[in-house]
Amino acid sequence: MTRDIVYGALVVFSILVTIQSAHTLYLTLYIWARPQSEDIAPEQFRPPRISFTVMVPARHEEAVIQATIGRVCNANYPQRLIQVLVVCSADDKGTIAKVKEKISMLRKTGLENVSVVTFEDGPVNKPHGLNVGLLHAVNDVVTIFDAEDDVHLDIFNVVNTVMQNEQVRVVQAGVQLMNFDSTWYSALNVLEYFFWFKSRLHYHARTGAIPLGGNTVFFDRELITRIGGWDEHNLTEDADIGLRLSAAGERIRVVYDDRYVTKEETPPTVNAFIRQRTRWSQGFMQTLKKGTWKNLPTRKQRWLAFYTLAFPRGQAVLGIYVVISLLTMFSLKTPEQVALITFLPVLMILAFFLIYVIGLQEFTRAHGLQASPGSVLRLALGWLPYQLMLSYAALRAVARESRGATDWEKTQHVGAHREHDPGALLEASDETAA
Amino acid sequence: MRPPRSETRPMSAPQVAVVRPHPAAPPTLASASPQVTGFRSLDRAAQIALVLALVTGLITHAYHLFQYPLYSTDEGIYVERAWAVIREDRLSPQTYVYDHAPGGWLLIALWEFLLPGNFESFGNPVAGGRILALLLHLASVFFLFQIARKFSGGGLIAPVVATFLFNFSPLAIYYQRMILLDNIMVFWVLLSIYLLIRGRHGLFTGLWSGLAFGVGVITKENAIFFAPTIFYLLIRTTRQDSNRRFALTFWLFASAVPVVGYILLATLKGELLPAQLSLSLTRPPQGHVSLLYELWFQVHRNEGSLFAPGGFLHVLWLPKDPYILGIGTVAMVACLVIGWRERKQNPALLVAGTLAFEIAFYLGRGSVILDFYVLPLIPTYALCIGLVADRAARRLPASTARVAVPIACALAAALLIAPSGGYVLKHGQQHQLQLADQYYLPLTYLQLDQIAWIRQHIPRTDKIITDDDIWVALHDKQPYPYAQSHWNAVSDPRVRSIFGGGNSQDINYIALSNGMKHAMILNNSNGQENWILTALNSATEVWHASRGSVTLAIYQVHP
Repeated sequence: MTRDIVYGALVVFSILVTIQSAHTLYLTLYIWARPQSEDIAPEQFRPPRISFTVMVPARHEEAVIQATIGRVCNANYPQRLIQVLVVCSADDKGTIAKVKEKISMLRKTGLENVSVVTFEDGPVNKPHGLNVGLLHAVNDVVTIFDAEDDVHLDIFNVVNTVMQNEQVRVVQAGVQLMNFDSTWYSALNVLEYFFWFKSRLHYHARTGAIPLGGNTVFFDRELITRIGGWDEHNLTEDADIGLRLSAAGERIRVVYDDRYVTKEETPPTVNAFIRQRTRWSQGFMQTLKKGTWKNLPTRKQRWLAFYTLAFPRGQAVLGIYVVISLLTMFSLKTPEQVALITFLPVLMILAFFLIYVIGLQEFTRAHGLQASPGSVLRLALGWLPYQLMLSYAALRAVARESRGATDWEKTQHVGAHREHDPGALLEASDETAA
Repeated sequence: MRPPRSETRPMSAPQVAVVRPHPAAPPTLASASPQVTGFRSLDRAAQIALVLALVTGLITHAYHLFQYPLYSTDEGIYVERAWAVIREDRLSPQTYVYDHAPGGWLLIALWEFLLPGNFESFGNPVAGGRILALLLHLASVFFLFQIARKFSGGGLIAPVVATFLFNFSPLAIYYQRMILLDNIMVFWVLLSIYLLIRGRHGLFTGLWSGLAFGVGVITKENAIFFAPTIFYLLIRTTRQDSNRRFALTFWLFASAVPVVGYILLATLKGELLPAQLSLSLTRPPQGHVSLLYELWFQVHRNEGSLFAPGGFLHVLWLPKDPYILGIGTVAMVACLVIGWRERKQNPALLVAGTLAFEIAFYLGRGSVILDFYVLPLIPTYALCIGLVADRAARRLPASTARVAVPIACALAAALLIAPSGGYVLKHGQQHQLQLADQYYLPLTYLQLDQIAWIRQHIPRTDKIITDDDIWVALHDKQPYPYAQSHWNAVSDPRVRSIFGGGNSQDINYIALSNGMKHAMILNNSNGQENWILTALNSATEVWHASRGSVTLAIYQVHP
């Protein structure tokens, strides 16, 4: 009897995991099933009309902040239509000094549109910084760039055109990790971003339940002010604000065009990666608990939002399941039919792996990079450890959330993504030398 | 242990030919050819042609379906395995020896399971399977029509000719009415091709096509011979596709999944590798059955030539339909030659030609074949003939073409009417004109009478040697648990133990046909059927019925 219950549970769980995996696979490849025109940027830019306020929340970003500011100031867009606000906590003397140094250099070239905004109150986190920055924003559209971002020089032209052509007030542009061969897990991390921004976010946008990304997202300033800015007590304020806007019925456009993505780097160490992923998982848990998703108008939207926000908990369970599977593989003798059904999730893993291999080729081709056989081998060898790492981070998030630990675990940035872009590296070096 | 089956597993390779509409400016498969998305996308004439093809397919195959041909041993085997899936939760009521992958009878099991009365829904258990074969045939007609239409650039000549032959050929009808793995496999392979050529390529087209093909392989292994051509077709149809990498990878992945599942099943049962890791063909390893050994054994079987005077070609196939075989061979060669020349512009003819060639090569290479192995050849030959006819019609001057259509219709009518062809009419024994056997000759009533006599006169505890065609009828309702086919009684120790380990004295009755007796003699090269033949020689005939060349009898064995 007990044995039958165990077999039944294994069968049911395996089928559910397979269905979930198949659904995720569909979302992962969603954009490839749509006409190509849906994800690319316009080929012709409209004349610049919309003005932008760029907010760069920064904390201990001395190594990268100057290059980022320089990149924004070099954008192919009239600087009179761009306001740059670097937002720092007042105690972050190092970053503030670097920003001021950069401002000084820019002023010598005639650029007056960059300023640093500081705050002394708490909490010291990104959403609070954004809300502070929003108070100083004056332009039509506000956008967020992270301190380590390599922003494309035409990104403002893209958004200016899309917003005018399609009459949308929120645009999420592509963000892409670049350093796919830095560490054993970086290719997997890069591809996660690749599929998330290039494909899955389109599905969320079309459905009307989208957890937005943390940067390269553009909001109509009046709109963002009206809904009260960012939730300062949420670790994924970006996902939260996306769902709030969705609940308000706001149409959100996602533009992922390989040519115009904002380039970022993977966390440099396993610890940094786990901290970042823990924060995201915990943020999703907070957003789920907050219940904004319940205000979405349709059942499909609510289900998608719930499914997305609850996924970290599922990921935690899956991590445990992987361990149990490995143990039962050697210790439990089941009927062949049961064993065959429990093999289904393995097939899905294999399918995902193949998709990632193709994704690696697509990604490297789009960015003029070269994936070696070693990259594919690392992808294969790192697959299971990476999944376990994600599950561990999810478990850690569950633990933190249950004991009420909500402090912001910052991700370290070293500029590894800029090694892939000689232009950006040169620019950063020149500026540092200057 | 050797498989007791009457059938072996051959490997066959078909070819896909694609015909272009105009030799001067051939359309490419991806561009100029019509969109093949469904019935509604067809123009009026094509809709009428398709409906006619389906209706004629329904009439030619459904009429007289339960009467002709005789329920065959192989039909019985697959239905009894489907029975085991439903009733006993296993792949075979006897020891499963991996003589075939189980995809085909799993589908039959699903079908029978869905029927309100399961195996008894249509009277005889095999009859229920034949209804499934009929439905699969109709689906295959649809796929063949669309494939021929696509390959010919949208014309109607190719699909009409191809489906006409596919529906009316006496050779086709004879075997397509049976619930055989080959028929199911043909359905999956045509579906796989159809998915590749229909409409715009979706992201998951390769996935579904590959999955259909993979299921085809685990239905009948010889589908694997279609793989190169179908994959080539996929490569050609996705040449301009931005999702090409996904399509190719998905196809390979999905087609491998069912096969991997099959191998995994054998592994889980501890039956992948042979006992003692022996692949000796002279001294088969003892202990347990093995998937790899079975494959090894089959690959090394070589029993006679198709072209020998007593071979199936001369004895069974050509007498049933010399036209489709003769003209089909010529059309296949034409497709290959023309297709090779124009492969860069349009691979259609080459695809059709290679599909047919691979199967023809498989059949002609001299390995073990059974009569119904001709099944995959029929749609591929029909396709080649249709495409070549289309090409020929397009080369005709307009004035000639106006005359050609009525002439072609007249030829088709003549083919149907001519008694020598046996498409609809034939000469009877007294040279009288009568309907051809497939629409006239009742045979299966003999088997029904045989079953009825057994139920009426033989105690349910008696031990009966019989054939697989009536096995399920004797096991499903009012079961005779000790009724077993002679194939299994001589090869499966577990079944043989019912009869005292092969003791003539332990048989009470033998219910057989002249075909079964012939098979026992052929299967007795090592003397394994001796104990049954001995019992038969000393038995008394207690029931007898015959029609034409078919004779059924029941013998009581005296202790």
